[in-house]
Amino acid sequence: MNEQIREEIQRIEAGASNLKSLAEGNPSVVRNAEIILSFVYILKFITPNTDKEA
Amino acid sequence: MEYWNPYLETLPKDALTKIELAYFRNIFSFAREHSRLYRDKLEGIDPEEIRTMADLKEIPLTEKEEMRRYQEMEPFPYGGLLAGDIEEVTTFRQTSGTTGKPIYVPETYESWQWRIEAWCHILYMAGFRPRHRIFLPFGYNVYVAFWEAHFASEKVGCELVPGGALDTKGRIHKILEVKADGLMNTPTYGLHIASEAKAMGIDPAALGIERMLCAGEPMTTATRTRLEELYRCQVFDHIGGTEPCAWAAMCGERDGLHIIEPFFLVEILDRETMRREVAEGETGVAVVTPLGRRSFPLIRFNTKDLVRKMKDVCPCGRTSFKIKEVLGRIDEIRKVRGVLFSPKTAEEVIRKDFPEIEEFEIIIERLDLMDVITLKAEVRAGLSVKAGEETRSRLENGLKIATNLTFNVIIKPPGSLPRYLLKAKRFKDLREGMTHE
Repeated sequence: MNEQIREEIQRIEAGASNLKSLAEGNPSVVRNAEIILSFVYILKFITPNTDKEA
Repeated sequence: MEYWNPYLETLPKDALTKIELAYFRNIFSFAREHSRLYRDKLEGIDPEEIRTMADLKEIPLTEKEEMRRYQEMEPFPYGGLLAGDIEEVTTFRQTSGTTGKPIYVPETYESWQWRIEAWCHILYMAGFRPRHRIFLPFGYNVYVAFWEAHFASEKVGCELVPGGALDTKGRIHKILEVKADGLMNTPTYGLHIASEAKAMGIDPAALGIERMLCAGEPMTTATRTRLEELYRCQVFDHIGGTEPCAWAAMCGERDGLHIIEPFFLVEILDRETMRREVAEGETGVAVVTPLGRRSFPLIRFNTKDLVRKMKDVCPCGRTSFKIKEVLGRIDEIRKVRGVLFSPKTAEEVIRKDFPEIEEFEIIIERLDLMDVITLKAEVRAGLSVKAGEETRSRLENGLKIATNLTFNVIIKPPGSLPRYLLKAKRFKDLREGMTHE
């Protein structure tokens, strides 16, 4: 698995977390950011690093 | 593209094992921290000491009976089975309650999407692609299987036609109207649609179904073959349950089922000791740990499904280990006159050699201290009395050879036995203390 993919997932995670903080008081944006984070969890699950999962 | 996730599906075996053990430690720690059941159950076990598959055998199994007890606690209705905040739960599902009080299963958005991702593997292995139009002939209710099928179809990119609020005739018309080429149903209902289509003067093969995926109840090889002959299509099976999710499925080879690794860590244990991992070709009980579902964690869940382990190498190129189809459930295996009997054996005989039998029911009773096993066989319309008598005689012989038991076979007229949309209840043990149906 390309390391670039994992780095991109981390960037999405950081962006969605940031979005959630910035949008406090706007349930729509907060919830959409949370949903992105749910998919980030799955993306991480399906792209494990076999060198690190020891 | 052959694989839904080429990276995961072709990982070397040792890499898969390494990932699964790491994921196991993660879900173990999470469960112990967030679920009342596992806080109590796993106390004193250090997850960091779980380094090999052999280490897993020291961790207690999770049984449905204890889950029912913990479900009675707060918060309603999930009790000590819920891991996390109840306000994060977005979906309620429940088991069918076939073996007792239903288990209520909470899914958060995240855990539901995790289940769907696993299910996408099932669809992709069965050859479903965005070009397919899939008809789903059910109202899904609170039961999980077809909800998963629905959401996973969307995620893979198929076009999904929900056919819940129609009767069987209406569904047949709808399949023809929209030119559906995929069908997902229980094996029982697949047979029923075929039977209804014939009664309407339509050859089931003319419905245009290219591939069928079955869910909801175990399917014997003979039943799958019967469906393939009727529809002249490819029929795929998978195995799973409301609690552990769907954890194994058929690839294009249609020879056994792949464990969906590394979503699930599956052990096949010797049924006597429930500790020893069985060898290739041996039968054992499937014990399943979903490795990423956090709202309702399960550590070493005893599915009570009896399966046979296969060799790992599959021409499809997937590296996950394989099992043969489900041979039955431990709680369905009965001792009748000293002989172990599984209803699946009788079903295999009927579906393989008796196409004139449309539906059947098996009843075990104790009469005058003697176990009596009766099989009611409903025959298709138009079968003469003489042909029915021949069927009865051949069936008694066939069942005797396959099970070593003498059956009292009763031929029933067309339409006289119940039909089932979801889990078929064809087996009744009416002996005292045997309440399971």
